[in-house]
Amino acid sequence: MAEAASARGVAVRASDVAVEMAGVSKRFGSVQALHAVDFSCRAGEVHALLGENGAGKTSLMNVLAGLYRADAGTIRLHGRVVEMRSPRDAIAHDIGMVHQHFELVQAFSAFENIVLGAEKRVWSMDADRHRGAIAKLARRYGFDVDLDRHVRDLEIGDQQKVEILRILATGARVLILDEPTTHLTPIEVERLFGSVREFARSGLTVILIAHKLREILAVADRLTVLRRGRLVGTLDAADADEPGVVEMMIGERGALGTASCPRTVVGPGTVLAVRGAASAEDQRAVDLADVDLTVRSGELVGVAGVAGNGQKELVELLCGLRPLAAGSILLGERDVSRCSVRERIRAGLATLPGDRIREGILPGAPLFESYALGLHQVWDHSGWRPGTVRDEAQSMIGRFRVVAPGADAPTAVLSGGNIQKVLVARALAIAGQGGDSVLVAMNPTSGLDVGAAAFVHGQLGAMCMRGAGVLLISEDLEELLAMCHRILVLYRGQIVGSYEREAFDRYAIGAGMVGSGD
Amino acid sequence: MTPTDLVDANLLRTMIVVATPLLVAALGELVLERAGILNLAIEGMVTLGAAAAFVVLFAMAGLTGGVALSLLSAATAATVVGLVLAYLCVGLRANQITVGLGLLIFSLGAASLLYRAVVGVTTSPPRVPTLTPEAVPGLAEIPYLGTVLFRHNLFVYAALLLVVPVWWLLFRTPLGLRIRATGENPKSADSLGLPVQRIRYGAVLAGSALIGLAGAFFPLVLTGGWSESTVGGRGWLALMLVIFGRWRPWQVVAGALLFAYVDAVGFVFAATSRLIPVQFLQMLPYVLAIAVLVQVYQRAQAPAALAKPYDREARY
Repeated sequence: MAEAASARGVAVRASDVAVEMAGVSKRFGSVQALHAVDFSCRAGEVHALLGENGAGKTSLMNVLAGLYRADAGTIRLHGRVVEMRSPRDAIAHDIGMVHQHFELVQAFSAFENIVLGAEKRVWSMDADRHRGAIAKLARRYGFDVDLDRHVRDLEIGDQQKVEILRILATGARVLILDEPTTHLTPIEVERLFGSVREFARSGLTVILIAHKLREILAVADRLTVLRRGRLVGTLDAADADEPGVVEMMIGERGALGTASCPRTVVGPGTVLAVRGAASAEDQRAVDLADVDLTVRSGELVGVAGVAGNGQKELVELLCGLRPLAAGSILLGERDVSRCSVRERIRAGLATLPGDRIREGILPGAPLFESYALGLHQVWDHSGWRPGTVRDEAQSMIGRFRVVAPGADAPTAVLSGGNIQKVLVARALAIAGQGGDSVLVAMNPTSGLDVGAAAFVHGQLGAMCMRGAGVLLISEDLEELLAMCHRILVLYRGQIVGSYEREAFDRYAIGAGMVGSGD
Repeated sequence: MTPTDLVDANLLRTMIVVATPLLVAALGELVLERAGILNLAIEGMVTLGAAAAFVVLFAMAGLTGGVALSLLSAATAATVVGLVLAYLCVGLRANQITVGLGLLIFSLGAASLLYRAVVGVTTSPPRVPTLTPEAVPGLAEIPYLGTVLFRHNLFVYAALLLVVPVWWLLFRTPLGLRIRATGENPKSADSLGLPVQRIRYGAVLAGSALIGLAGAFFPLVLTGGWSESTVGGRGWLALMLVIFGRWRPWQVVAGALLFAYVDAVGFVFAATSRLIPVQFLQMLPYVLAIAVLVQVYQRAQAPAALAKPYDREARY
């Protein structure tokens, strides 16, 4: 790629350095998020920024996008030093960022979201001109979205298109995409990467933040790897091999603890059986209908699906938070369809909630109280004394190598990975009593780094080894393909497919997830 | 009392007059809340606006320009309180409920102080003449409608028509889009380079000015006097009307008229009926408010970031 014509008609040499960051440091409280990081990327290239969670990728890009002010360091754009005090400055320098958790106004239409940044006038809107410009961008990069629908009614993939369009509409020439594939199905990922290549062809610079290596190697020109807030190195994608980059990402900790399918003897006993279950009608939720699923002893069953197809509702239905309108739920031999949450926990049903901060812990409460939450249902009530609970939590911290200042520290000071360790420890304690227990885990490794994810995967496998059953509800299809004995596909509140391990087919499952299977 | 009394032309005329301060204050609050700021000081700001307007009218008795100056002072007094609110809630990201309640108490006190300082303590509270209604030539002669709609003074018309510019600003201009975006998702607006703090400051100041003007209607149009109980909860009603109208200007106006009607029925009944105690009639709008809110609130769509301080570098 020697030359790429920019949209402004000026020929830009591909080797021109578009962005150069030098010695960028940023501290949050006691955490040094970035240690004097250097980063540069060329105009017209796709540059992947890799690293584990907490490596500082997003922080570094937030500095470039003006959201965070760096404590030290300089930013040069095309050789000129610029000051980034706010996103306004970044936009003025044609830099735009698409965040992992989209920053759209849910109550606005797609069109309103896009013109919000593009319209510079105050009192009147030139809607026709904007529609024309948006349509042109959409055609060029293959983003077909209904502009007049409310964002909250759009599928997540379409929301992402709107998010990218609104950044392009501000006139951005440097586009930062933060973990853009998180919510997408394999087919959507391919389409997105097609658009990314098209951006680069038209002279835009694309910075892709990612932690899934395989898909990135196919689309990026160059890679920069960060680890624990420091730069590890930059290399051409053509020269990169997967194990080498993984080692750069995780460092001396050695081999990657990948997810693997537990080699257990499955069955014959059934630990969880759901028959014809339907959730009571709820306008604010996805209604589940005709859900049939079975988890046998020692079995790891996956539920695949795009976010918002009833995963959260399924977890709530199983653990007793959501009323059952029809059908039945059996834990082992026992019908728990009408049982309270407490009775289900006592019967050996443990849950790893999808939103670990909001549903899993008490952010402001001491760690030992968060740990005891739910677990107190299975403890003998005479044992509920703060002292004993604290000791129990302290020993858990030791056993699971939780990085925490102590059992009395506020739960929210822990990192995401360590919070998940505490929740896993709690679930193990609940489900650890007998063979008939079940763990329902929703996105248990989302947002975790490789080390913490390997820990969670290991514990899920260990549970199966002990004869319990695991229902793994995950939006990460790779994780499911690697771990499960069987995968069910959830689409709009219904199970639309079931695949045994021997018959796993990534594309068939992906098609089922978007409702175009069979 | 007969059923036809319920649609009596004078009753409906009273309804419109009673509705004016409610809807001006509610539209002011709407602008604030659309930018994501909850103003619990509204009752105090209306009371302060009323006091400021009254003391100017009282001090300038009969001089030309008194009315204009009283409106100006009402708006200014409330805007000063609004500036403090904006500084604390937008600038310092303080809790909006705490700040709002604090400023409520402050404004009520400031209103009494202002009144005492200018008027002093008197046995019979002084009054200023309220503005006389003026019949619109020709239109006022239309039977029924003429009485209901066309025998008001200029300020009543201005208040009724205020909804048009407010609606147009919020829903037809890019500025309104930005204000609403700030109230729905400030981070979204910020990441597109919009000045969130400045927009919120502007909305608070403009909204506060309207809330203060609403206060001026009490001495100018409704009562001609001022006491601690002149406003008597109508500021709170305005706050409620914003919810009732689901943060939409036209629905807010409809709500203001509905509540004013119940209020006006209370007035008229109090004057004509001996069967129902006056206190009960005065209670009616608030009973209605509770009944209606229980229904409406379940489906209401408040601005998503209402009452949430925005900090760009906050990590949660």
